[in-house]
Amino acid sequence: MGKIITITSGKGGVGKSTTTANIATALAKEGKKVVAIDFDIGLRNLDMILGLENRIVYDVVDVMEGNCNLAQAVIKDKKTNGLHFIPASQTKDKDILDKDKVKKLLEDLKQEFDYVLVDSPAGIESGFEHSIFLADRAIIVTTPEISAVRDADRVIGIIDAKSQKAINGEEVEKHIVVNRIKPELVEKGDMLSVEDVLHILSLPLIGVVPDTEEIVSSTNLGEPIVHNEKSMAGEAFRRIAKRIEGEEIPLLDLKSNNGFFAKLKGLFK
Amino acid sequence: MSFFSSLFGKKKSSDVAKDRLMMMLEYERASTKINNIDEMKKDIIDVIRKYVKVKDVNIKNHSNQDFEALELEIILDK
Repeated sequence: MGKIITITSGKGGVGKSTTTANIATALAKEGKKVVAIDFDIGLRNLDMILGLENRIVYDVVDVMEGNCNLAQAVIKDKKTNGLHFIPASQTKDKDILDKDKVKKLLEDLKQEFDYVLVDSPAGIESGFEHSIFLADRAIIVTTPEISAVRDADRVIGIIDAKSQKAINGEEVEKHIVVNRIKPELVEKGDMLSVEDVLHILSLPLIGVVPDTEEIVSSTNLGEPIVHNEKSMAGEAFRRIAKRIEGEEIPLLDLKSNNGFFAKLKGLFK
Repeated sequence: MSFFSSLFGKKKSSDVAKDRLMMMLEYERASTKINNIDEMKKDIIDVIRKYVKVKDVNIKNHSNQDFEALELEIILDK
């Protein structure tokens, strides 16, 4: 029986889909059978980040409405063995998802995959609620900015109130990814530090991803950054995948990126 | 605010961000926990008014992994 992990943030544009694509790819590279689903109905994005946009025939709404069977909608990535993807519908209304159908789909996927990664839409509307309802665990992506942290806090509150586990008196395991950190700005006192963000949100950290230019080109190419062995951001995501697998590994040492981050000694102690 | 920045009187923008966030979230967390917080506030004010002159009541939420608490701040009318 697999695990459902929802990647969410509240605020848009903080890197949810990039995080989903990279964690999914990294878990698959670790030998797991993974499916990533885009729940952002009407604003499909994960397909292009994964580089699978040309292979889409059916989407998540087609499966739920019975226009195709599940196997037909699941796209198998050719580059990474074990990585699968179900796209969001681009044409349908964002409120089309139905609670029971979502539940059936996710439970079917859980039978077949080790990890079901749900890429939640931004906002706190119905699409978001569907994406967190069945989550076994949630990864909340934020950037070190007040608006992103504020929205993350709100989303955490809603997960605690509205997920099935919460309703049953259990707790959804929740972790924070701090994305796009710029150590030199933190050092100058012009950016919230990782510690500040964790203190404010009172949740444990699962990864810190530095703001690097390589991410932009990897999105341009449709090749998740975890494929790039030399990239710091890629390494950050690979480590997040390992932590999801239960491995205890230290946080990325941003100092090792010689020179640039060298003076930031002790920032991530 | 860090020791040095307070020493030189200039607050770093990240410290300002942190303070502003903490203030805002304390209020927002309380309002997500309680559906009709404004009604509750009114009721509390009414009760307290029986005994003292009250101007306003602020409800804040303090919570972390281990505990959850609502803090009531009763502002008295002078």
